[in-house]
Amino acid sequence: MYAWLNGPGQVFHDPLPNSTNYLSAYDKAGRLIRAQDANEKSRSKAEQDKEEAENEEDPDAQEASSEEADAARLRREARRQEQESKGDGNKVSSESMEDLRPFPQNTQFMSQPVLSVELRDEIFRRVKDGGLDVRTVSAQLGVAIERVGAVVRLKTIEEEWIKQGKKRATPYQTAILSMLPTTPFDATSPISTSSTRSRAPTLAHEPINDLPVHPATRPQLFVPVSESRVFTRTDAAAAFSASLLPAHARIPHPQLVHAERYRASGMTDREVRERVEEDEREREEREREREVRRREDEARRMRVVQGRRWDFRFEDVRVEDVGRDGLSERGVGWRYGAPHDDRKRGKVKIPTRVG
Amino acid sequence: MRKKPKFHGLKKIKVRQSWNKFNLYNLSRMQKLTVEDKTFFQQKWAAKAVTRAYHGEQIKEKQWQRMFDTRIPSVQSMDHRYLAQHDGSEQAAGRGSGIELSNGLAKKSQPRTPYMHMVYGPTERRLDTAIWRALFASSVRQARQFVTHGGVKVNGKKMIYPGYQLNPGDMFQVDPDRVMFATGAMKNQDKAYKKAKSREAQAAEEGATEEATADEGKEVSTETDNTSEQEDGAINAKSDTPPEDPELSLKDRQKTIKSLLENAKLILSDPHDRLSAPRKQEWRAFSKLVRSTLSRARTTSDATTSDLESQFQLLKSKLAPTSSSASSKAAAEAHQREAEARISAEDERMLREALERAYENPVDDAKPYATPWRPRPYMSPFAFIPRYLEVNQNVCSAVYLRHPVARPGLAEVPTPFHLETSQLAFNWYLRRR
Repeated sequence: MYAWLNGPGQVFHDPLPNSTNYLSAYDKAGRLIRAQDANEKSRSKAEQDKEEAENEEDPDAQEASSEEADAARLRREARRQEQESKGDGNKVSSESMEDLRPFPQNTQFMSQPVLSVELRDEIFRRVKDGGLDVRTVSAQLGVAIERVGAVVRLKTIEEEWIKQGKKRATPYQTAILSMLPTTPFDATSPISTSSTRSRAPTLAHEPINDLPVHPATRPQLFVPVSESRVFTRTDAAAAFSASLLPAHARIPHPQLVHAERYRASGMTDREVRERVEEDEREREEREREREVRRREDEARRMRVVQGRRWDFRFEDVRVEDVGRDGLSERGVGWRYGAPHDDRKRGKVKIPTRVG
Repeated sequence: MRKKPKFHGLKKIKVRQSWNKFNLYNLSRMQKLTVEDKTFFQQKWAAKAVTRAYHGEQIKEKQWQRMFDTRIPSVQSMDHRYLAQHDGSEQAAGRGSGIELSNGLAKKSQPRTPYMHMVYGPTERRLDTAIWRALFASSVRQARQFVTHGGVKVNGKKMIYPGYQLNPGDMFQVDPDRVMFATGAMKNQDKAYKKAKSREAQAAEEGATEEATADEGKEVSTETDNTSEQEDGAINAKSDTPPEDPELSLKDRQKTIKSLLENAKLILSDPHDRLSAPRKQEWRAFSKLVRSTLSRARTTSDATTSDLESQFQLLKSKLAPTSSSASSKAAAEAHQREAEARISAEDERMLREALERAYENPVDDAKPYATPWRPRPYMSPFAFIPRYLEVNQNVCSAVYLRHPVARPGLAEVPTPFHLETSQLAFNWYLRRR
């Protein structure tokens, strides 16, 4: 083992500066594969250049047009310089998918990029200072909704720490982020700031419109349909389950679909934005109403009697809630025959939710 | 009784959830499970044994069997433009599965979803595993210890159960000191390194050992008073020093700047390498000098000195020359000397960098890890953060966003095994095998 650790494994002792350093990026002898490839490429390029140079020295070529030749030479010179300047950073910049696999055996797993500090700050800035909602920021920057929320939450804690003068683990963060692939944020690049268009997939951090595979759609289904009928997504969803919504309604960003449709119907960008905002307001209003109704319903069912120290809450229960076998979780009270050993010695009751 | 096999044994390769170098070696020479010489039962048994040694090795088998689920969550990423342009009827056109292309070619197929890699998805929900996946601990066992010892909070409340099943949206925080300890280089490794160095030096030269021991002794003595100094440094300096005249004399300033810059240069010269004892002394001397310079400024309040930026600004203003009203000749002379005392932009940048480094990553022998902090050896090949976690390393907190999912060509549960091995393990846990 020590022969390996001191030989090919030596490269893993310290992280590669500003790059990932996974097993798959190295060959058996502990050489960086992509560095070797780059070397080979540059060597072949150099040979090519030499050939070109030889060709250039042909009197015919020189005669053809000296200006063009000069321009070509200049261009080549520039390219070479560019390559040379890249030379040091080459190792860092050209990580391929292969290099991002931490487990050589598992080809279906790769180390996916994490948010860079700049991108995190930008998300926080847009939500806190810009006053944008999480969904909009998510669509703008190509970051999943829940991740945007989490970033804001974590960043708020960080701000609190700074205010309290609490020591942060900054050296740890610097070290970790230099070891991981990160999604950069370039403030100068033309990023879409509109809420109705999402960022180009190449710039996005992750796919934002992930459709969870619904259990009802798992079994294969054969539905006889007449050939003349236009069988749409909505029909397909209804065929699987009566309550299943079609894909364009189940994705996290249905407003992007609506915006595209409005745009296709000939609306201008501004009209589209206004329309989408209006839709959004309506949706929020509907949700608020539903919440109010739920509260009212609960208040009607629940009778609260104020006690000296506690409130007593009375709620109607149904006997049928225990289910057919009498063991359902929703059943209330002590059930005959059901073991009740939760207070036995050694039975640890781990909470299922906190806060 | 049979002797318990080693956790990171080299004979029978078992990859574990840890950043140990033995584990790295095992991972590097791991082979695909051989199935040719085994019955189907044996294949499944072997696959189960090798995967369970990695996934939730700390969980009892019965407990895991209860967690196991055949329903595997997966997602398909949708393109909103496609959804807007098509109503889905094109996929049902023709004979029910879309119209065939005229050139007879099949449509571009998606990569297959590796469902079988998701067998151990439920273990990723556990608090101890999530802490390790967020790179806050060097092994799951260590993460478990952090939890049981009370170093972890979930949604701001202390959680002592490593088996707590995180819900989507749960935030967990680990004590930063523990994280720095778990992920930082070991403290006594430095000593071992030093010892080895001194042994080398002894072989080369006899007198060198005496110096080394002297250095160590000096370091210990400075260590003790340094910690106490750091605590009451700012306060004492403010209250105890007699009120000097508020402006430093020019010579004094020159001297301070010179030594500050020299020290800063030294600090920046080899920041990440192991620090030898004299280097540590220089590092400390620099922070001491900064402190003493600051304490001479009478305008300081405790609140402002704790902030790095204001500390730097104060230092700069302290060192910047003040205009003097004197006779012309004397003024010219003073002007020249002031120019010498002035800090150039380059120096300023250097000073700021050194100050930041000394402030954020100080030499502190009271810490249980090697200071200044640096990542532990053999950490980088294990460093990745799966997408179902969002981590803020600065505050050592992370949010469990959602359960890990499989998507075309990618499974989010990090597992070091081949797809076939995972599949065999999945088959083992089906009720009827």
